[in-house]
Amino acid sequence: MKRILALILVLAMTLASASAFAETLKLGSMSPLTGPYAADGNDIANGVRTAIEVVKAEGGIPGFDDITLSAQDTACDPRQAVAAANKLINEEVAAVIGAYCSSATLPASETLDEEDIIMLTPGSTNEKVTERGLKNIFRTCGRDDDQSKAALRFMKEYLKAKTIYLVDDKTAYSQGLADNVEKGCPAAGIKVLGHEHVNQGDKDFSAVLTKVKAAKPDVFYVSLQNSATGALLIIQAKRMGIDAVYLAQDAVYHPQLIKIAKKDANGMFLTFGYVDPNTPSYKQFIKFYEPKYGKPGAYSTYAYDSAMAYMAAVKKAGSTDLDKVRAALLSMEFKGASKSFKYKENGDSGSNYIIRKIENGKYVDFWNAQTGKKY
Amino acid sequence: MDYFLQQLVNGITLGGVYALIALGYTMVYGIIQLINFAHGEFFAAGGYMGVIIISYLSAQGMSPVLCIALGLGLTMGYCALLAMAVEKVAYKPLRSSSRLSVLLSALGMSIFLQNGLMLTQGVYDKAYPTEMTAGGFHFGNVVVSYMQIYIVLITAALLICLNLLVFKTRIGKAMRATAQDKVMSALVGINSNKIISLTFAIGAGLAAAAGIMVGFYYGSVNYSMGFVPGIKAFAAAVLGGIGNITGAMVGGLIIGMVEIFAAGYLSSEYKDVFAFIILIAVLYFRPTGIMGENVDDTRV
Repeated sequence: MKRILALILVLAMTLASASAFAETLKLGSMSPLTGPYAADGNDIANGVRTAIEVVKAEGGIPGFDDITLSAQDTACDPRQAVAAANKLINEEVAAVIGAYCSSATLPASETLDEEDIIMLTPGSTNEKVTERGLKNIFRTCGRDDDQSKAALRFMKEYLKAKTIYLVDDKTAYSQGLADNVEKGCPAAGIKVLGHEHVNQGDKDFSAVLTKVKAAKPDVFYVSLQNSATGALLIIQAKRMGIDAVYLAQDAVYHPQLIKIAKKDANGMFLTFGYVDPNTPSYKQFIKFYEPKYGKPGAYSTYAYDSAMAYMAAVKKAGSTDLDKVRAALLSMEFKGASKSFKYKENGDSGSNYIIRKIENGKYVDFWNAQTGKKY
Repeated sequence: MDYFLQQLVNGITLGGVYALIALGYTMVYGIIQLINFAHGEFFAAGGYMGVIIISYLSAQGMSPVLCIALGLGLTMGYCALLAMAVEKVAYKPLRSSSRLSVLLSALGMSIFLQNGLMLTQGVYDKAYPTEMTAGGFHFGNVVVSYMQIYIVLITAALLICLNLLVFKTRIGKAMRATAQDKVMSALVGINSNKIISLTFAIGAGLAAAAGIMVGFYYGSVNYSMGFVPGIKAFAAAVLGGIGNITGAMVGGLIIGMVEIFAAGYLSSEYKDVFAFIILIAVLYFRPTGIMGENVDDTRV
């Protein structure tokens, strides 16, 4: 009798402990779901959703019976980003994937840091993001200083440009990047003819473009926060007859750039992180992503990789504790859909910017900024 | 010189767009003293409805000119109906309450319409079939695109029609009477509810036309496009003298020009600053706006 009782007790205890361990892994995402950057923001949320679906389809994470996502809207606004971070803290999420705009990630990451919540940004390329000594921040995309170097090398070695005109729209990211390029120009032997700032939400660029046209630059560098705005600017620039080489960056990079600007986008160059569509990880990503959310945007893969990396680290660490997950993240090599990477001590994952060109309505790899050779 | 002329062309085009939107603000203000914050949303809704109708028609193999003309007409009609519905739901029940509650209702309607547009049409920009209107004239270094010419011509045509309607027809007379005195005009047999409804419809129709032209001119529309031009057009209406039709046209042109020249000769960072400095300066010296707001004859 005693034996049976003991057995029942043991059983009850294991059951109790099992149910105590079987919990839900709550992830949060932060990105602009409304406002002018809503397109990229939804790409990011969908990338995270896809990662969760993939992990669930593969059997989930031991110790968790479900994985959920709470997608918050930052509207690319620093204040709203902090509010979104506080909301996610209240919802007791284990980690946050986001934000998109550097100006939103910078304040939000500090709020999350106070609560020891890890933040993996798929799209904030401003250098400062990983240079504040925060131990909760990881960055899956590249850095602006590397991006500007790629752009400068391309202008110097391939285009052999002598003059440049820059336009940005005054966000931490877009202006930071344009400033980096401008600073590097004298060393590359390129003369800066002008650097204009437009307002976010502008649709009419005719005045600025008339200025650019009068300056006759070799390279017209477009650093905007948003691809749709980029498309509007390109259409108007072509109509105005500016025959410089158009060079843009990764926020302008998006399928909708070609969709809106159509043949006006042809011949344009963009700096963008190299993504190999033939890796098994990318193929798995696209198999889950495309049927549900359509063509992936510029940051879908980075968001997907951030979430996949985090969940793999939780699996390895067997916990969601910041220090344990951080140690796991730093020790692992990831073969992601966007790139293969390993997080460094400061949270960076390395940049692999290349020059892509739009030819006949398609993005093609054009020039390798590491080797200085054409593809 | 080329540079100046090019900026002038840019300024007139932008001014024309602002003028068309400003008319809706001014007409509604003239008749019920309401700043209709939802007006910018009619502009956005027009932009969307226009691309939907025009893409459909051109897929049926219709000629571009016919597509655009029919699209313009249908979209203006659609937005006119939308505005009448908005007026019935959000403003009419509040007609006897304080002006503040109607104003708040207008703000709410603006948020509602913008988010409705986002939920039904998605967050991505919708591209316009710009190839229909591509091309332009080159005068030396000055480029005038066909679309810029269309904008100026269509704006002018709509303004002439509006003036004829307001000053030469019985409906226009009724509108002017209602604007002057709602009670008195009701006493002489004018159905003021109907007239107010009609005013909303006309204003929204003009905004819809502006939405389509902006879509063709810039290449795409998105759900939040109504906000910024809405604010600028409102400034234009106040600048010209709110409630005054000619004033709205003049105000729109001035705001457009100032913006372009400030961006062209100073810095594009400060173009909005200059547009609003002009507004403040004019209001300081002429609180009723350039054309005056209380000229009963020209006020709708």
